Amino acid sequence: MEVQRQTNLETFSSKDLEKALQRIKKSIWVFHLNTGSCNGCDIEILDVLTPWFDVERFGIKLVASPRHADVVLLTGPITIKTLPRLVKALRAVPRPRLVLAIGSCAVGGNIWFNSYATLGGFPNIIDKLDELGIIIDKVVYVPGCPARPEAIIYGVAVMLNLIKQKSHYKKVKT
Amino acid sequence: MVKFVKVIPIATKVGTVTIKYPYAKPLVTDSFRGAIEVNPSKCTGCGACTRICPPKALSMSIEGETAILRYFIGRCIFCGMCADVCPEKAIKITKEFELASEQVFDLYVDVEHEVVTCKRCGSKFVTSRLLNKVEQKLEEFPKELLYLCPRCRRIEMLSKQTYLR
Repeated sequence: MEVQRQTNLETFSSKDLEKALQRIKKSIWVFHLNTGSCNGCDIEILDVLTPWFDVERFGIKLVASPRHADVVLLTGPITIKTLPRLVKALRAVPRPRLVLAIGSCAVGGNIWFNSYATLGGFPNIIDKLDELGIIIDKVVYVPGCPARPEAIIYGVAVMLNLIKQKSHYKKVKT
Repeated sequence: MVKFVKVIPIATKVGTVTIKYPYAKPLVTDSFRGAIEVNPSKCTGCGACTRICPPKALSMSIEGETAILRYFIGRCIFCGMCADVCPEKAIKITKEFELASEQVFDLYVDVEHEVVTCKRCGSKFVTSRLLNKVEQKLEEFPKELLYLCPRCRRIEMLSKQTYLR
């Protein structure tokens, strides 16, 4: 069992990722992970699950355990206190490990980007997670304070390669 | 069981409420604020927006030969204070909210400005467009002082006064 798990970790190439992504194109199970959020984004995630937006028509379903989840919905700027729990929860997620960072806190830290008590968003700890052996296969960032329910659905579509993303780096000269 | 049956007439009366989001247009009112857009032909690079921005999503930095006004959408809270404070009305609030991206890099927007170098010490201190604007506004301001950085200008003014005495 141990050997099998290790080989599975090492041999998980980009080809396997593509295959896995194709497999989960139909329906994904999501796990909601709050890392010190103000509850704004959490309420928007609940909005998405209500009959008004009804994401179960796409097969998206909220599950209670990270072991059952395909995608982790991460909200909050990752406070120091929640970091050990975050690492524990992400380690429990099976490969391919997909993370949907929702809200400007999770993407860039929002007004807490410079605070001593937070790590200032998910991009700052991806490298550290890699060192710990927790490889994040794909991350999609959904800005917004809080992110609109439509924006979250759009983010899921970008994650599953159903549509191409609109925003690109722009550099303009005066 | 009996209580549950009460729900059925209500549900039939209300009907289906689910909106068909990806196929139907989302609800966007006139007062909705999305990502901002900086008009590069109007922006002078004064930095008023960078000071008012609560999460410092807008930042001004001098890199090499250019001053860069950097807008990071990932940190923006869409408050619209930058559009209120902009003296040139160069910042426009769009209704764009579908901003999800796979790379953080894609969420940056840069506006490059030309920089004026101080004639005495050679340090870059202000964008040329802002300097031209100030030059137009202040007609009686001595021209030789305009192209000096604030520190050199102070030294120049003080040395002039001491010389006269």
